[in-house]
Amino acid sequence: MGLRGKILSGFIILSLMLLIAGLWSIYELSSIGSSVQKILDDNYESIHASKMMIEALEREDSAILLLLLGKWEEGRSIFIRADSLFAYNFNFATKNITIPGEKVHLDTIKVKYSAYKKLSERPIVGTAKEGNLDWYFNQNHRAFLDVRYSIEQLIDLNDRMMYKTSTDLKNRSNRSIMPGIIAAFSALIFTLIFNYLVNFLVVSPIIDITDRIKKFKNKKIPFDLKIETNDELMDLANSIQDLCQYVSAKDK
Amino acid sequence: MRLHIVLRYVSFSLLLNALFMFISCIISGINNDIGFMPLFYSSIVTLLFGIFPIIFVPGTTSITNKEGLLIVTTSWLLSCLVGSLPYILYGGPFTFTNSWFESVSGFTTTGSSILSDIESLPLGLIFWRASTHWIGGIGIIIFVLSVMPFIGIAEVVLFKSEVSSMVRENFHHRARRAIQILISVYVGLTILETIMLLFFGMNFLDAISHSFATIATGGFSSKNDSIAHYNSLPIEITIIVFMILSGIHFGLLYSVVTGQWGNLWRSSIIRYYLVSMLVGIFIVTLNIHHSQYQDWWSSFRYAAFNIISVGTSTGFANTNTAIWPAVSCLLLIFFTLQCACAGSTSGGIKADRIVILFKSFFRQIRQLMYPKAILPLRINKETVKDELASKALLYISIYLMVIFIITFLLTILKIDMLSAFTGTIAAMGNVGPGLGSVGSTGNFNHIPEIGKWLLSITMLLGRLEVYALFIILTPNQWRKTVSY
Repeated sequence: MGLRGKILSGFIILSLMLLIAGLWSIYELSSIGSSVQKILDDNYESIHASKMMIEALEREDSAILLLLLGKWEEGRSIFIRADSLFAYNFNFATKNITIPGEKVHLDTIKVKYSAYKKLSERPIVGTAKEGNLDWYFNQNHRAFLDVRYSIEQLIDLNDRMMYKTSTDLKNRSNRSIMPGIIAAFSALIFTLIFNYLVNFLVVSPIIDITDRIKKFKNKKIPFDLKIETNDELMDLANSIQDLCQYVSAKDK
Repeated sequence: MRLHIVLRYVSFSLLLNALFMFISCIISGINNDIGFMPLFYSSIVTLLFGIFPIIFVPGTTSITNKEGLLIVTTSWLLSCLVGSLPYILYGGPFTFTNSWFESVSGFTTTGSSILSDIESLPLGLIFWRASTHWIGGIGIIIFVLSVMPFIGIAEVVLFKSEVSSMVRENFHHRARRAIQILISVYVGLTILETIMLLFFGMNFLDAISHSFATIATGGFSSKNDSIAHYNSLPIEITIIVFMILSGIHFGLLYSVVTGQWGNLWRSSIIRYYLVSMLVGIFIVTLNIHHSQYQDWWSSFRYAAFNIISVGTSTGFANTNTAIWPAVSCLLLIFFTLQCACAGSTSGGIKADRIVILFKSFFRQIRQLMYPKAILPLRINKETVKDELASKALLYISIYLMVIFIITFLLTILKIDMLSAFTGTIAAMGNVGPGLGSVGSTGNFNHIPEIGKWLLSITMLLGRLEVYALFIILTPNQWRKTVSY
């Protein structure tokens, strides 16, 4: 390969290293952005919906207590509003299934909530259940705790996924920084090697050629220089050698 | 010293690394895992570093011994450095020190790891770990020479610089032929083991990774519980057979393949290597029976696998040997120091030198009894030169001295003595697991950063047989730069 090609290859290699590192860093940084959005979309909204389901359940529990005290109107009104709040958030969570295992939890919540609702919707005021704390603690409250536990499991699943995604984010930020660092170090080392090779295989032979020409001119020492590299420098040395031989022959 | 020539030859080893990184990258790509970009970028950087000196520096077929030695040592160091790039870029448990440790452990075929959860790594990275074993197993330069066209005298110099004096004594072939024999046995054994492991139920990637680790006597497994994960007798027997074969001089294995069976049985080194392991297995079986395992079969099974694994410097495990009784642990320590035969991929002092040590000891006793007698040292009915014998004995002394110094330094770092000592002999012998906190079910992650650097230097010292690494540090090596 010619001298031009060799030097050009050095610059191309250097540019390639930096270019790929840059592109990779950009890719990783943009995926950090989408990972943050993913946490918000997938996990945070599911957790929020789950918390609202728990809130609705708590309100339903309060409504049941009011019904137990015989306050039918207040109790029913709170229960119906809480039920619609629960249904709204449950539907939201159902449409936002993004994690493996999330659907199973939602199905469990659905089954358990239906059982709880079945118990709570039946008339309480004016029946044997009114003021019946045994019924409340042994049946209704247990069903309430069952639903609540299932919702907490869903929150736990989303929390764990959020933690995992955050850890991935940490790794991704590392991955977006490291190519830059590696590229910088590689470029530095490459520049040193490039400089050494240019100095040793290009500059030194030129200095040597100049030195030999001076010696030929001043002291008539024959120009015999062997250049290892098969490039323009070898052609130059050979041409000068021919010229010197020609000049020497002419002088004689 | 012509640094540009050294650079040119070292770059071939970088290209070899880039090739295996690229294969690992393809595996990651097929599997669509996050190991793709770290492996891709590492392969590009390594390729570019490797290709540039080949473009720039004109080729030459004559190199000096000093240059040969520097090429070999630099190839190892640079391979370890570029080999750590995929780990550094992957991140997670891999800090710079951990990446270097894992890479050195891979190339030197030690098999010690900082990882507690190997199975969580991307498949491409798992394959890269195994590849470092396979590249390093036979010697990076031997690998490079085997795929390059004949390069004249340089090939002989590089071959001599890469293989130990013990190996050279045992190879009665020209360098080119010796390289061909080494590589054909190496590749042949790997293919054969991969096929057998596939047959016994491993998937392709696991089979090839375990074959790489077995034939290179490395010990990196793709599973957290190493070979215990499979709990399969056929797999254990296959690995035992190939560990034993990988511990035998490849020249002898080649002669067996070419029909000269007698060579194997005539070798007193091989007889010692096999008998010593049989005796070890017998004692350990007796020792762990009742105390660890209730039936004789299990005692024999675990004793055989682990003694052979340590005795060939592989380092696979199918049980926790750190809880074995003292007698068994001492035998494991003995085999960690000794390891297998010269001319194989095994590390350690090597059975050849142990045989020379024993024979020199008995000759010395006889010499004291008959002071005027001329008593030659004979191995395989051939006289061993006194120079070679004293080199072997000196090597054992230096080997033990290095172990003492590194153990001492590790204990200063507040590592318990058992873990420090066995960790050091396992690193020096390129075995992998030690005892205590660095046992077969543990890892090296808890070792302080300085300790990891000390152990990785120990691994390199063991792999390069001590001298090569010291020679490049001597000032004389760097004087007299030859002009272009």
